[in-house]
Amino acid sequence: MSVDKRFDEYYDRVHLQGGTTCCPGCGGPLLWRMILDAVGPNTVVYGDGPCAMCAIRNIKLPNFSIHFSFASDGATGIVAGLRAKGREDITVVSSAGDGSIGDISLGKVSAAAERNENMIQICVDNEAYMNTGIQKSGLTPFGAWTTTTPRGKDAMKKDVPMIIAAHKPPYIATASVAYPADLKAKLKKAKEIRGFKYIHTVIPCPTGWRFDPAKAVEVTRLGVDTWVWPLYEIEAGVLRVNSRSEQKPVKEYLDAQGRFRGMSPEQVDYLQGETDTRRRNLMEANGKRLFI
Amino acid sequence: MSSIVRSFRPEVDQSKCVKCGLCQTFCPEGTVMLSDAGVVFDYRFCKGCGVCANECRVKAISMVREEG
Amino acid sequence: MSFTRMMEGNEAAAWGAKLARADVIPAYPITPQTELISNIASMIADGKMKAEYIKVEGEHTAMAAAIGASVTGARVFTGSSSQGILYMEEPFWMPPGMRLPIGMCIVNRSVAPLGTLRPDHMDSMLQRDTGWIQLYCENSQEVMDTIVMGYRIGEDRRVYLPVATCYDGYFVSATATPTTVPDQAEVDDFLPPYRHEWYSLMPDDFRMHGHETNMAKARNEVQQAQETAKAVIEEVEKDWRRRFGRYYDGMVEEYSCGDADAVLMTMGSMTGTARDVVDKMREKGKRIGLIKLRCFRPFPREELRRIARKYKAIGVVDRNTSLGSAGGGIVATDLARALYDVNERPVIADFHVGLGGTDVTMNQLEYMAKRTLRAAKVGRFREAVDWVELHDLGPVM
Repeated sequence: MSVDKRFDEYYDRVHLQGGTTCCPGCGGPLLWRMILDAVGPNTVVYGDGPCAMCAIRNIKLPNFSIHFSFASDGATGIVAGLRAKGREDITVVSSAGDGSIGDISLGKVSAAAERNENMIQICVDNEAYMNTGIQKSGLTPFGAWTTTTPRGKDAMKKDVPMIIAAHKPPYIATASVAYPADLKAKLKKAKEIRGFKYIHTVIPCPTGWRFDPAKAVEVTRLGVDTWVWPLYEIEAGVLRVNSRSEQKPVKEYLDAQGRFRGMSPEQVDYLQGETDTRRRNLMEANGKRLFI
Repeated sequence: MSSIVRSFRPEVDQSKCVKCGLCQTFCPEGTVMLSDAGVVFDYRFCKGCGVCANECRVKAISMVREEG
Repeated sequence: MSFTRMMEGNEAAAWGAKLARADVIPAYPITPQTELISNIASMIADGKMKAEYIKVEGEHTAMAAAIGASVTGARVFTGSSSQGILYMEEPFWMPPGMRLPIGMCIVNRSVAPLGTLRPDHMDSMLQRDTGWIQLYCENSQEVMDTIVMGYRIGEDRRVYLPVATCYDGYFVSATATPTTVPDQAEVDDFLPPYRHEWYSLMPDDFRMHGHETNMAKARNEVQQAQETAKAVIEEVEKDWRRRFGRYYDGMVEEYSCGDADAVLMTMGSMTGTARDVVDKMREKGKRIGLIKLRCFRPFPREELRRIARKYKAIGVVDRNTSLGSAGGGIVATDLARALYDVNERPVIADFHVGLGGTDVTMNQLEYMAKRTLRAAKVGRFREAVDWVELHDLGPVM
């Protein structure tokens, strides 16, 4: 069989056409290939907005979106519509970027969590409003350059996974495209749970984070290995830490990206301190029920 | 679909390849496949980002300047 | 079984949603719509109605959920007023552009500033550019009938547009009038199940409308659908009359216009008072008539051009304002445009009244009628734009 035909079959099998209009090295299409592999074809995808939407355009499954100010709400309608039509077997995956879920649509996601809508809500977090040219979002990390924070962001990254976890939904998790087995296992688990599931993934953005696209997966892996982006899940209120306890210095992660170049040594130390505290707290709470 | 323009294209040395499949796992576009004919690339859609070459543990893939 | 009893507008509207067999109802409370959704919630809880009632956290979400459910193939009903309509502005544009026949009630309430709970037509009229069909109702019966007819109209494949049933807060929503609820089986015969030919999210049958990339073509399609809707509205209303014995004269009703040169034009609940005023003045020998505009969008241009030739003066009673515009009265402006190139056409006045929900009183209507009668005689209105409430018309009647 010709190489082209092999790939055409492959794209059908993974439900995602290769050759998106995303930047080279964008984690968006990578994430979607992993998600769709985990949830399978009996799925409707709702969502748009992050520049990873260029990947959604290539999905070969029913998909529909409004704008980024509409996280979770159109999906709420889809879930109700499917219930009215007796098709609750269909998995609804709702997706939005960090600008959507962290900022303009935070209330929407909160409300969907409170109503325990039967959907998997994914946050495709590339840590800024990348689609409109790299402006800061609430999920931009401390010290990062963006066009609206040219001297580096002075506020910490909003901890959206924990905000959603405080609503006590059946399942929340953080995940990374650098650890695909973990990511897929979490999605498969979410699919089998009834109610509101939230999975927050940080995906690499070579264009906005300023690094060579070839390092996309390597940088993402560093984010996890330095505990800047720890992997954990909270199922029925109980925390389970998935990250290995070994921790690389945060500086390694920061040095790999141009957006942190302006950080002072004091800021780096501060971030290391915050990361260490977070790691300690997560390890202590491991196995315990969070949120009274 | 618009035509892909890239500066570099991946090429594989099949003799070095250990068939781990990480290149396929991590290619953002899905344009790398570990097939029974070894590692193959879909040059219709590959953007030349270089992730496959970077992730390959045995450096079997190299990024070569695109001709023309 | 059909039955008749006194019913407030909001309860009648809930019955309308039930009779129409709405599948999904995403809604958020706001005065004066609140009883509409609490009635629906009760009817569902009592087993009288089978629907998914989504208790959303805001109106922006209500319309978004409506869109999602409609695309999925569910018949959707929602409702709001005033600030809630403003808050759902962003998604409000999507259903007509996407050709989704969502049904909603706009329980008319003025918009802030000033903050008021009482009705005028600002909240619905500010949506006049979107492509939603808008029908205005006088009483509870008309509200219920219009909601059901609205789905037949909107879901017609020649139309595929969302329909807003508008009725005044308090004056209709909270005022009880005798209402006949028809038999469900008869309504089922009138209104078949919802099936959109252009949309499906089923994995084995994915269909999505909206591949047009040229804005002019996309907008023009909606405009054509609005034009087509005129005939469909007439068809559907005549079918309703045949089956249920009630008729609202389609898009425009002429009341007591027989030999009149001068007519008032009203919308919504003030029409009831206007009928009484016209009757009283007729008793005194004044040749004054009344046009009730029931359908605001699509604006019944052709019908009004035909009718208007008979009259020398039309006093348009605008329960709205368009600040900074050419005339100020939204309906009067539309009417003037419709009649502009008719050779023999009446003079028109914009009468602003009932703003912020003040009562449109009998003596105000009498004042407007007298001005219109005079204009018919002398060939022009004393003031083409008249803010009636700013005149001292003596004790209120």
